[in-house]
Amino acid sequence: MPNVEPLSEDQIDQKGFTKLLRRSREIQAPDELFVRIMAHAPGYAKSLHDAMYMSHVEGNVDHKLKEIIRVQLSRKAEDTYFANLRSEKAKGDGLTEERIEAGCGDFENDSQFTEAEKWALRYAWLMYREPGKLNAEFYDEGKRHYSEAQIMELGGFVALHYGMQVFMRTLGAFPMHDSEGNEVSQAQSEKIYGASVNG
Amino acid sequence: MIDEGIENYRKSDKFSEAEKLALEYSELMQFEPEKIDKAFYAKLREHYSDEEIVELGSFIGFNVGYHTFFRTLDFYPMFSPDGRLVDQEESRRIYGAKPTSHLRGPMARATGTENE
Repeated sequence: MPNVEPLSEDQIDQKGFTKLLRRSREIQAPDELFVRIMAHAPGYAKSLHDAMYMSHVEGNVDHKLKEIIRVQLSRKAEDTYFANLRSEKAKGDGLTEERIEAGCGDFENDSQFTEAEKWALRYAWLMYREPGKLNAEFYDEGKRHYSEAQIMELGGFVALHYGMQVFMRTLGAFPMHDSEGNEVSQAQSEKIYGASVNG
Repeated sequence: MIDEGIENYRKSDKFSEAEKLALEYSELMQFEPEKIDKAFYAKLREHYSDEEIVELGSFIGFNVGYHTFFRTLDFYPMFSPDGRLVDQEESRRIYGAKPTSHLRGPMARATGTENE
């Protein structure tokens, strides 16, 4: 069981959480577990989930690219929960597990990624490993591929999701469903996904 | 008190046990998250409700994420520590290249008293 127990559906004020639960069931990254844990602090749950959803699913940077970045970050954070979730929207839009692995691996030398995508993946890769390299020159290169609005969208997305992954890591949680969509207990989920966050 | 909370909270008599634990939670989340385990959360529960723990934990996580991002943007506060609106160049001069205690440079530079 996670280090902060999720509230049951009965314990959550359904009226206040209908939208969050619907979104989490639709996208599955995060899934309902995150909502039920965060529901201990309802104000935080709503504002953070709104921000996470907006930054991940909406905006002007491709959601599939952001999904690869989200998984990449979660592995850096060593968070067993977010690392094992996959956006149903991204999957529906054609994102494959192989492409996610490629984006989390040697993307610099992988011809399937455009220069713009490589810059975005590099941005996320370096942010919490070598932030000193994200200097004016780095941002200038980014501006050849993205508008400043897109760069702020990407940077804000990276920051918010990584921060939440760092927190979730400490809770020791796992996804609520197996890869086929069946609901499983936390113990079963841990057995399925394992303690490692890598693919 | 801010400096004490960052640099010396464990030994300081200015903080309660609950506050020290919250400061430790923050420090560990940033630098040694693997030490925040079931036992640590049990200690947190001696002082805080689950609501407070979720509030603290997500607040800390949010700040861990955002401060690193903001660092890469290389911008400075709009106001000096003594409350004056300053441009970015002046702000950089006052606050310095690395975050530090306002009592060790920024306040003196803001008020022109660094050589006193």
